[in-house]
Amino acid sequence: MRRIIVEYEKCDGCKNCSVACMQAHRKSAGTVYDLDLTSPENESRNFIYQAGDGTYRPIFCRHCDEPECVMSCMSGALKKDAASGLVTYDEKRCGSCFMCVMNCPFGVLKPDRTTRTKVIKCDFCAQDGGEPNCVKSCPKGAIHVEEV
Amino acid sequence: MMHVIIGGGAAGITAAREIRGWQPDAQIVMICSDEQVHSRCMLHKYLSHERTAEELDFTEKGFFEKNQIVQICDRVVSVDTADKEVCLASDRKIAYDRLLIATGAESVIPPVGDLRKAENVFGLRHLSDAQKIDKMAEDAEEILVIGAGLVGLDAAYGLQERGKKVTVVEMAPRILPVQLDEHGATAYQELFERAGVSFRLWCSVQNAVCGADNRIHSVELDSGETISCDMIVVAAGVRPSVGFLEGSGIKAERGIEVNSRMETSVKDVYAAGDVTGLSGIWPNAMKQGKMAARNMCGVKPMPGVDTEYADTFADKNTINFFGLVTLCLGALQPEEGDEVQVQEDMHIYRRAILRDGKVRGILLQGDISNSGIWQYIIKNQIDVRGKGKKLFQLTFADYFGTGERGKYVWNV
Ligand SMILES: Cc1cc2nc3c(=O)[nH]c(=O)nc-3n(C[C@H](O)[C@H](O)[C@H](O)COP(=O)(O)OP(=O)(O)OC[C@H]3O[C@@H](n4cnc5c(N)ncnc54)[C@H](O)[C@@H]3O)c2cc1C
Ligand code: SF4
Ligand code: SF4
Repeated sequence: MRRIIVEYEKCDGCKNCSVACMQAHRKSAGTVYDLDLTSPENESRNFIYQAGDGTYRPIFCRHCDEPECVMSCMSGALKKDAASGLVTYDEKRCGSCFMCVMNCPFGVLKPDRTTRTKVIKCDFCAQDGGEPNCVKSCPKGAIHVEEV
Repeated sequence: MMHVIIGGGAAGITAAREIRGWQPDAQIVMICSDEQVHSRCMLHKYLSHERTAEELDFTEKGFFEKNQIVQICDRVVSVDTADKEVCLASDRKIAYDRLLIATGAESVIPPVGDLRKAENVFGLRHLSDAQKIDKMAEDAEEILVIGAGLVGLDAAYGLQERGKKVTVVEMAPRILPVQLDEHGATAYQELFERAGVSFRLWCSVQNAVCGADNRIHSVELDSGETISCDMIVVAAGVRPSVGFLEGSGIKAERGIEVNSRMETSVKDVYAAGDVTGLSGIWPNAMKQGKMAARNMCGVKPMPGVDTEYADTFADKNTINFFGLVTLCLGALQPEEGDEVQVQEDMHIYRRAILRDGKVRGILLQGDISNSGIWQYIIKNQIDVRGKGKKLFQLTFADYFGTGERGKYVWNV
């Protein structure tokens, strides 16, 4: 399977990856230049958080080998795909219980801000051929995809 | 190898999938009294008509065929552990090499008045319960729900969405008394009341008498009030489904006794899920089912493959009604000497109970984004001091570590 490898020492907190994620998953058509960064509809699925010393940590879904989110999903919406290794999310099946949010040990998941009916989760940019836009946008090389 | 699984809920289905993963050629038989696979956590969406029975299925299409699991729709009435076979209501007998008991729990109807014999009183545990409730609700206007825990509120939610006049009676002074404090509970109570549900808190049903039609048309509360109703949903707790084990030699008190490998007191018999009494929530039932399956297959522990049910923390819940989300973990009531931290604004409420720098309990309401770290912090008793941040600002960044193959690990 492929995983986004994180080298936090290279991250300088520019959040290009988060903007790329918002752009990749926006509902309306458009370019990154007219992406509404303040709209609650546009949410990033990855997070750059600061540690207490001011340095940055990219928090990205691991598509875990034994995913705790899948092990809490009561609707069948979250699944570990045997072929690709990705942890996929099917919005239509989701029952909006948010036990997955509670169960991800890295705090990667959250309910959507506008309706609280969906989970905001990394899909490895399946719509773009499975090449994550965050990785393409990182100017520092702090994240890259690797076969693991 | 013949694996027989009794019960097709969270634990049973997870176990079946796991067994197939380890043993492509083993025989797997699942005996289940449900007519179709369904997630109990979504029964409220069936009552509200947001989902059909088919849409409650949590398995993928063709799950049984794809995994070559033989499905028997029947009820197990006894287990013969000497001859290693289970006996079904239809008199059929099924032999096993390994047996998994994953029969979950049953609603308890308290012995008050005629509650147990009336034909318009239901528990809410199975799809069949929800179907009966749904059918009777067609001609019912006023519905009484006994118990304002998660299941009671699920019933109240579903039925008020159908336009029914719902009254909920609860013994405790607030709703969701096991999950929430006064502040958190009041927020939900207001939302339910705005939707038309009324509550009678701090009181209980004292008497309920059947009419000539074998139905209860009103109940008396200990407050002296009489409430009229066309039907009643009882959500006053559950008990592990172990009745059929009598005489089997499998030890069960409140639930079936198991060790960390999910083995019961009898060789080759395993148990997982609510039936063990170890937990009453979905994630733990899944995990127990998975560990039981691995041991049934004789899997030896190796890095990345646990075979013991060690992650036993079960004081955890999420709640989502009317778009208000809540996460509750660990202790709810502060004890003497505990520190309580509260943060509140128009949209959020956060409360943590701490002792010696360790979080004993947390309640987040309104915004539970990225809150997965808290379960880890609480169950592993991680000291949260010294990170240079306020408590509710902590994220995984404060414990960030990486391991082999790009995995994250907790650095504490
Ligand atoms: C209304 C409701 C809402 C809930 N909401 C949540 C929630 O939001 N989050 C959460 O974590 N948990 C929730 N739960 C609890 C959760 O559903 C259970 O913890 C979970 O279903 C336990 O799984 P299980 O496999 O142990 O048992 P079950 O899912 O109960 O499955 C037991 C199976 O065994 C079968 N069975 C029983 N006896 C026999 C027999 N003698 N012969 C053959 N088959 C038999 C039953 O038909 C059933 O298929 C909810 C429960 C209810 C009722
Ligand atoms: S959401 Fe969390 S638990 Fe699920 S795969 Fe991603 S990192 Fe793992
Ligand atoms: S919120 Fe949806 S995806 Fe998450 S556990 Fe519940 S049903 Fe599964």
